[in-house]
Amino acid sequence: MHFPRFQLFSPATIEDALSLMSTYGDTLKVLAGGTELAGRMKQRLVSPPYVLTLKRIKGITGIERKREGLVLGATTTLTEIAASQLVKDLFPVVSAAAGEVAAPAIRNVGTIGGNLLQENRCLFYNQSELPRKGLGTCLKLGGKECNAVRGMKRCASVYQGDLAPVLIAVGAKALLKRAGSRRSVPVRELFTGEGKRPLNIAPDELLTEILLPVSSGTSAAAYKRLGLRGSIDYPLASAAVFLAVGANDVVADARVVLGAAGAGPKIVKQASDLITGRRAQDVDESVAQKAASFASKEMEAVDNVILPPTYRRSLAAALARRALDEALRKVREVHHAG
Amino acid sequence: MRRSAKYARCTMPADRTRGHNKKKRKPAANKNALAKRSKPPTAKKSIKEPRRPAAKKSARARAAATRRPAVAKDLPKSGRSGANTGKAIVPAPVDEQRVLLRVNKEEHELLVPAHRTLAEVLRDDLHLTGTKESCSEGACGTCTVLIDGLPVRSCLLLAIEAEGKEITTIEGLAEGGKLHPIQEAFVEHFAIQCGFCTPGMILTAKALLDTNPQPTEKEIRDAISGNVCRCTGYAKIVEAIQAASGTPGSR
Repeated sequence: MHFPRFQLFSPATIEDALSLMSTYGDTLKVLAGGTELAGRMKQRLVSPPYVLTLKRIKGITGIERKREGLVLGATTTLTEIAASQLVKDLFPVVSAAAGEVAAPAIRNVGTIGGNLLQENRCLFYNQSELPRKGLGTCLKLGGKECNAVRGMKRCASVYQGDLAPVLIAVGAKALLKRAGSRRSVPVRELFTGEGKRPLNIAPDELLTEILLPVSSGTSAAAYKRLGLRGSIDYPLASAAVFLAVGANDVVADARVVLGAAGAGPKIVKQASDLITGRRAQDVDESVAQKAASFASKEMEAVDNVILPPTYRRSLAAALARRALDEALRKVREVHHAG
Repeated sequence: MRRSAKYARCTMPADRTRGHNKKKRKPAANKNALAKRSKPPTAKKSIKEPRRPAAKKSARARAAATRRPAVAKDLPKSGRSGANTGKAIVPAPVDEQRVLLRVNKEEHELLVPAHRTLAEVLRDDLHLTGTKESCSEGACGTCTVLIDGLPVRSCLLLAIEAEGKEITTIEGLAEGGKLHPIQEAFVEHFAIQCGFCTPGMILTAKALLDTNPQPTEKEIRDAISGNVCRCTGYAKIVEAIQAASGTPGSR
């Protein structure tokens, strides 16, 4: 498969990139690591006349501890994040999740920004031109009906990024810049929850960094994912759990976020409500099982990502349960150590 | 179904221009002249000449090939907007670029279209066909090369972006006809059947052993987890890498 023809911009500074993005609007697509956009361009899902590569820009890569927290440049590679001692010390769940994405060679060039802002996926959408011709134009490509669920007027494409559930669970914020202005939003607000246009980001906006806020209390988090194989594949279900524990071992904040669970990462509010306010040691078998069952209910699944929806819903529960158990175990370890 | 005249002549997709689409071809004579004049003293290989015959291109055709669609407002003039608008000079887009690629410690100066991947340039222009292309979307690993020592999918890397990096392909491992120890180990341990995954596997193994000379079996399996093999079932490959690292494999 070959890339379609395009004209390439290789700006050296963020300002140049932003200026180009505001001039060329949606005729221009941004290339970070090239592991995600490349596939879609080769399949002719998108054929932008202009491509802007971020590879020469230095100001948006790297890991730095600042007063507000840990700042990850948007074009930091997943390998760097997985290997960083700073990330392992402060947010081991982020390091672990980054190390589980795809495969080593993809992580060596794939960026955290690119992983976060990836397009939704669907077996019927992620195909080259010939099979798509037979299927007819689907909702996501501007047609009238979904191809995965015939006749459905809502896009069933799935958000399968690994980092998003984790970043949302730990309360991360994204810094988006455009020529002349910037905005900082919680990562969860980057997602529309809608398959056709899954991201709340304008064509002239560039994600430059992700801030992981460091809190003073005890917290622990875990991420569990399952793909068809042990490597390379996108997750078919995943769950990130974050627990912040305050005085008297009371869970001050609990967040359960599912991945590959619909058009965007899904926050399982019922599970949060169930656990928040209890003492960590009181989150026993029955509470944990109930929380996991909420995850299963929150999971949206249709038959468009290889495994059957019923199995994926069970997976969501099982993975949420395992992530919760691991987070609780880490909380108890900290308490026993301290 | 609408069919363009191009399809009537040949079955190549319209945007793949290996001599089949005369309108978009660059004149070969110019290319060589440009390249030879600025050939760096250290380059050992001659400039690769395209196999297709030189084609004349009318001024209009040349203009059409590089004309941008008139959809963007306030288009800056190429490279010289500073003179008129007072804004900083913003680099112009390119649809092709002369790049210096350093492959296996040799330098090659090439005129590369923006949309060509490193895999295509290595195979088609430099005739280094050890690097394979299978899935073409980064999932199989047959296109793996080393960029500054790190395994990377060359099918996903634009050739222009590989400038300034140290590129290692499978052809760069053997020295003076003598196989690299990892290559030897693959041969000795029957880790090669059809051979298609082999270049990517060996380069991935080299990257592993260069940073972790005594890997555990798990570390080996994790390192090659991005390289698919349909023939061997991986057992012999893991053994070969263990042998190359000096750790005897368990039998």
